[in-house]
Amino acid sequence: MSDFNTETERTMSLAEKAEEILARRADSLARESAEEEVTDRISLLLFRIGEEWYAVRVSEVREIFQEYRMTSVPCVPDYIQGVVNVRGEILSITDPAKLMKLGFIELEGEVRPPAIVIIKGDVATALVVDEIGDIAEVASEDIEPPVSIIDRAQAEFISGSVHVGEAMVGLINTERMLEPVVTGGRS
Amino acid sequence: MVEFDRSAFIGKFQEEAQDLLQRLNEGVIMLEADPGNRELIDQMMRDAHTIKGSSRMVGLIEIADVAHRLEDIMVKIRDGEMAYTPKMTDFFFEALDAIVFLADNKGVNEGGVLDLQGLQNRLTAVAEGGGSPVVAQAAASAEQSTQAVPAAKPAKKRTKKASKAEAAEPVPEESAAVVVVPAPDVAAHEPGSVKPEAELKSKVQATIRIKTTQVDSLLNLISEVVISQIKAEQRANETRALLGETNDIWQAWLRVKAVLAAVGGEDGLDALEEDINLLDTALGDHRRSVSKFVKDHTEDVSRTSLVVKDLQEQGMRLRMLPANTIFQSFPRAIRDLAKQFKKDINLVIEGGETELDKKVLEEINDPLVHIMRNAVDHGIEDPETRVKMGKPAQGTIWMGARQEGDRIIIEIRDDGAGIDPDKVLASAVRKGYISQAEASAMSPREAMYLIFEAGFSTAAIITEISGRGVGMDVVREFVVEKLKGSLDVESEIGKGTHFKLTIPLTLAIIRALMLRTGGQVFALPTGSIEETLRANPSDILKVEGREVIRRQRRTVPLVKLSDILGVPEHGYEGSKVPIVTIGYSGHRMGFMVDALVGEQQIVIKPLGNHLKKIDNVAGVTILGAGEVVPILNVPDLMTNARTRSGQRMGPVQRTDREGPRKILICEDSFTTRELERSIFEAAGYNVETAVDGAMGLTRLREGLKVDAVVTDVQMPNMTGFELTKAIKSDPTLAGIPVIIVTSLERDEEKAEGIEAGADAYITKSVFNQDTLLDTVEQLIR
Repeated sequence: MSDFNTETERTMSLAEKAEEILARRADSLARESAEEEVTDRISLLLFRIGEEWYAVRVSEVREIFQEYRMTSVPCVPDYIQGVVNVRGEILSITDPAKLMKLGFIELEGEVRPPAIVIIKGDVATALVVDEIGDIAEVASEDIEPPVSIIDRAQAEFISGSVHVGEAMVGLINTERMLEPVVTGGRS
Repeated sequence: MVEFDRSAFIGKFQEEAQDLLQRLNEGVIMLEADPGNRELIDQMMRDAHTIKGSSRMVGLIEIADVAHRLEDIMVKIRDGEMAYTPKMTDFFFEALDAIVFLADNKGVNEGGVLDLQGLQNRLTAVAEGGGSPVVAQAAASAEQSTQAVPAAKPAKKRTKKASKAEAAEPVPEESAAVVVVPAPDVAAHEPGSVKPEAELKSKVQATIRIKTTQVDSLLNLISEVVISQIKAEQRANETRALLGETNDIWQAWLRVKAVLAAVGGEDGLDALEEDINLLDTALGDHRRSVSKFVKDHTEDVSRTSLVVKDLQEQGMRLRMLPANTIFQSFPRAIRDLAKQFKKDINLVIEGGETELDKKVLEEINDPLVHIMRNAVDHGIEDPETRVKMGKPAQGTIWMGARQEGDRIIIEIRDDGAGIDPDKVLASAVRKGYISQAEASAMSPREAMYLIFEAGFSTAAIITEISGRGVGMDVVREFVVEKLKGSLDVESEIGKGTHFKLTIPLTLAIIRALMLRTGGQVFALPTGSIEETLRANPSDILKVEGREVIRRQRRTVPLVKLSDILGVPEHGYEGSKVPIVTIGYSGHRMGFMVDALVGEQQIVIKPLGNHLKKIDNVAGVTILGAGEVVPILNVPDLMTNARTRSGQRMGPVQRTDREGPRKILICEDSFTTRELERSIFEAAGYNVETAVDGAMGLTRLREGLKVDAVVTDVQMPNMTGFELTKAIKSDPTLAGIPVIIVTSLERDEEKAEGIEAGADAYITKSVFNQDTLLDTVEQLIR
């Protein structure tokens, strides 16, 4: 029950945060002409896998959902957990932890892990994560190359790293994560 | 070669011209309303100029000439030398239609169906005479007479006749269909002069052009509505159950009340009397309102249900077009081909008005073209041979479409030489598809289906159809895989061949058998299902270590569907084994499942762009209750099942080996890496991966023991060539076979690979599962 409440809170805070950011953005837009501010601001959606925090660009997030019914599909790589019906559209469910060899996201618990639908062009997938965090706004020049200590298995999925408050956050390489899945070996 | 190049560019030109012509056609209409629109005139002039230039580039001089005249007129209008008059509209349309016709026919004014000289003269007259009404009218009447003359000729050849009709209305795509009537007498009435009128009228009808994607998303929403409606109906049933409960409560209350009345007047009950009355009224009211609600709700739901059903039907019809949309191009194509192969052929088309889903039409065109080409090339004999055999000199190809329930049957029949199973077998053995022993075990019918094997008759086909790349195997794939239909062929030597394509009415909805395996429900398209049965376990025989079952004096190999799909085995309930047998290209295979759930219509949904191609899975469907069910892919199932049951000489069974083999894959592309990984894992290997040569080498030097290394060439840090050299020059690693898989396929690059010490070199263009596995297998043997 308490779990559920924190989930609701999280969603609430996410919405509030988004609103706040929009307000701030409107504010800064209004001021822009006066101040000649040139820094590019990028909004990032934070999420947690295990103990680590990661982020995707808000512009690459289509939606977030929590309640869903998953169907497993045979003959897919292990990081594809199945598919889900979102308003008539079929979306794959990707476990980024498995993809990056960081263990796996617990799917069988009492509450479904939240899912973030990432999209680039006409390719989309739902990433299941342990927890969805806030939306953070960072300056584009604050995004650094990926930390060199990260594992090779992860390296290809991380396009950069950035400090958000205290934490170091890995920025997800959406394109890599959305690379089309082909199995069976027949062309 | 020169011929081929040109036709490739003509295709490009046709694409480009289509857009330009569309814009010019619209321009003419707009110009009529707004003759002074300078911007529009400029645009039209440029478009005509572009058509002139590019048609000349690809050698379509006739088009260039017409476009040139158009451009001349536009220049004069632009420069104010003449004004646009509505009279010009007709000439513009005539010119544009002529260009469309020529573009569609690769610039050939076959049989002189167009009066090009007359058109040129008329356009010149317009350009010079400033569009004087007198010239225009004279020209118009001249044009009509040229059209009337050929049509008035007695119709000897129907195919020719048909193309006249076509030429009389060379309006592309949405033009009314050309119906080729089979009886020659009927063909005497006048398509040439009557049609354009009808055509004109039908065009005036209110139509809107809508993007197909918009229609598709609408249909997607409709199928969601259908699903919601099914849910609503279930809810209605539940409320009826509630009403039943309410009635039970009411009955119980009546009994309680009667008892209370009987014991009335005793102590203590008086105090309750008020409450009893209150409860009585409340329960009565409640029962009435629940009853009314359930009644109203049920009515609402059933009314909506009718509307939704209508909505679904009308929605599906949005995408339907008559088969003639594609059939009408065949008379001309066949005539051209017949000429090319020096044959005399009569084409009969029936059922062109049968409506099909637009997507089906698009997909079916290439397979049909290919079957037709085969019929002309290999089917119909030359006239002398035919006469010698006692057949009429003119061969007949018959093409027909009809609807049977929820499926469309397209048949192509010829009265030609037929397919000789012995020749097919001989050729298959020669090409190494099957062994002599397998050949002698095949029935004539199975032999015939060999023509659908991948690349079976490539040598004969690739050149012949000028790079289109459609072989009979592709025909089969289109029909079975994309259209979820089935393809049958019957042939009698000397009598002819009969192809029958059975395809679902729409791509969106098919019939499927729902079955359960590994605790999950799957849908199997019924198109290829031969039968379903429940067999006694004692009827399942073991032959050479494989499970088979005898059906109608044939031995059908059996596999467990759960094995093919890699899902956990649950086992069937009861005493009999549920089996589905599938017939695909002359092969039969029985799939053992946990349960057969039932047959129903399903809406196909693609897996989306992320899951681009998943082995054994063709898509998913959403059932009434909202649950998602994977749809199985028949060709994949058959390929995998045959490999597993040992019918294909695949390198998969390696029971004689101790322990699994290990492969190191060095590949920087994620997709290729995962693809290769899945191939090897499916074949029972353990797989290690590295994202570049340097990482691969490090892992090997750290002591990773593998049986072979499969590497890409172009990788960051260390190329595959460098890696190969490093492995081969390290005494502890030199014994490991290295297989280079690359898109570099020039001889020098191959030489470099061999020089580096690679044991095998596979180019990605010929890359497939079997070559890769075969190669590795050979090297580590």
